[in-house]
Amino acid sequence: MSRVIDAHGHLGSWFNFAIPDSSTQGLLAVMDRCGVATMCVSHLLGVGPDARAGNAKLLAELARYPDRLLGYAVYDPHDPQAPERAADLLSVPGVIGLKLHPETHEHSLAGPGYEPAFELAAERGRLVLSHSQHESPWSDPAHFAVVAARHPSVQLLMGHAGLTPPGFAAAAEVATQYPNVTLEICGSRMTDGDLAWLVATVGATQLVFGSDALFLDLRVGLGRVMLGPLAPADRDLLLFGTMTRLLEGIR
Amino acid sequence: MKVVDANRIFGPIPTGDVPSADAPRLLAELDRLAIDAACVVHSYALHYDPTAPHELPDHPRLFPVPVVVPGPLGTSAPADGVRVVRLCPAEHRFALTGSHGLQMAQDLADRGITVLLGWESASFGEIDRLAGELPGLGIVLINTGYRSLRQLADLMDEHSGIRVDTATLSGHQSVEWIARRYGPHRVLFGTGAPASDDTGPRFQLDHLDLPAADVELIAGGNVLELLR
Repeated sequence: MSRVIDAHGHLGSWFNFAIPDSSTQGLLAVMDRCGVATMCVSHLLGVGPDARAGNAKLLAELARYPDRLLGYAVYDPHDPQAPERAADLLSVPGVIGLKLHPETHEHSLAGPGYEPAFELAAERGRLVLSHSQHESPWSDPAHFAVVAARHPSVQLLMGHAGLTPPGFAAAAEVATQYPNVTLEICGSRMTDGDLAWLVATVGATQLVFGSDALFLDLRVGLGRVMLGPLAPADRDLLLFGTMTRLLEGIR
Repeated sequence: MKVVDANRIFGPIPTGDVPSADAPRLLAELDRLAIDAACVVHSYALHYDPTAPHELPDHPRLFPVPVVVPGPLGTSAPADGVRVVRLCPAEHRFALTGSHGLQMAQDLADRGITVLLGWESASFGEIDRLAGELPGLGIVLINTGYRSLRQLADLMDEHSGIRVDTATLSGHQSVEWIARRYGPHRVLFGTGAPASDDTGPRFQLDHLDLPAADVELIAGGNVLELLR
């Protein structure tokens, strides 16, 4: 039985390109087809315009598929009630942490709007997954260094590991410096050579597989790990070992 | 199933040390990924001088794809026997639908030569006009990315001569959607490697939710037909 965990997935749809099948069932079918046991997802309605409604949809899908999906509740730094709402969401079975998207919310990862999210994650022992984007004013890897130092007990997943080839190096530098930062590897710009470099530089104990499905095709991201030039032990860490350890650390 | 990469680069590239920098390493990489053969364009033609001849390895698993540039400052017409060429209008700064571009494309269409054309290398309008004025020209849009599906649908609904490769066609279930709507004969396995990742498209190929016969066409049947 597969133990593969996809640490970065989504439900729902998105505005600026077509997703031919945005159903959760369709996503589960692709997971079955390529042997992914569990996907950790946020809802794209929440990542986009409406965190409250998106998170409600997330909870409904977690309840429908408790054996296949784990959830990140989207934290909207502009919502004055976000701390209370996030605290409630983290009490729901299957919700493993918070999803931050500094790009769509146009708020720096290290800005004051996200501080309650990190304080909550520290208090509740939950994961934080944030989008990263090299040279972005909102989510450059340098911002991860700031919050990782500020909240050393929070396990912080750097989504996309910097997103671009120059970003991979910047992300690796942060992960090397901060043991509470784990790089998540999804994105359309990464090659298997980039992945092998990250494993050699950072170590697979600080890397997790993610696909960005159903934004991107799950199989494309998984292929980099399955067929990339990696040692079997490193591949296992990427596919499930590192993420299993992080999930076991959730209180 | 024969797996043929329709979109691969041979030779060194400026952004990294890549396995395809020389023929032995490229072949070893194809072996590692269970790819039987590849259409290869020379990196010098992409990144150095597209008008000079650049020797591609003479190997039965590698199908040379010359780069063509129209006009008086361009390349000569492809040699006899060439079945597929690559056009890079943005990179090589020529007008795809200028008078020289259309004249060259007419010649390619008349000779039954298929064109590989990068999605970022021409505008939607240029591609639409090219395909409209030369309905007999075979065009494979490569490196289309994951955000282009609606525009691809516009083009593929209108122009039956347009195909796509899978190199960066990495939106959720995009490959299946195109294959079901337009037929598997209009989808070619490609990677764009080493400029883009090859392992993802290769793994995806083995896990497509399509009939085996359709996957065989996508994997290599279609491009082998173009090369015939």
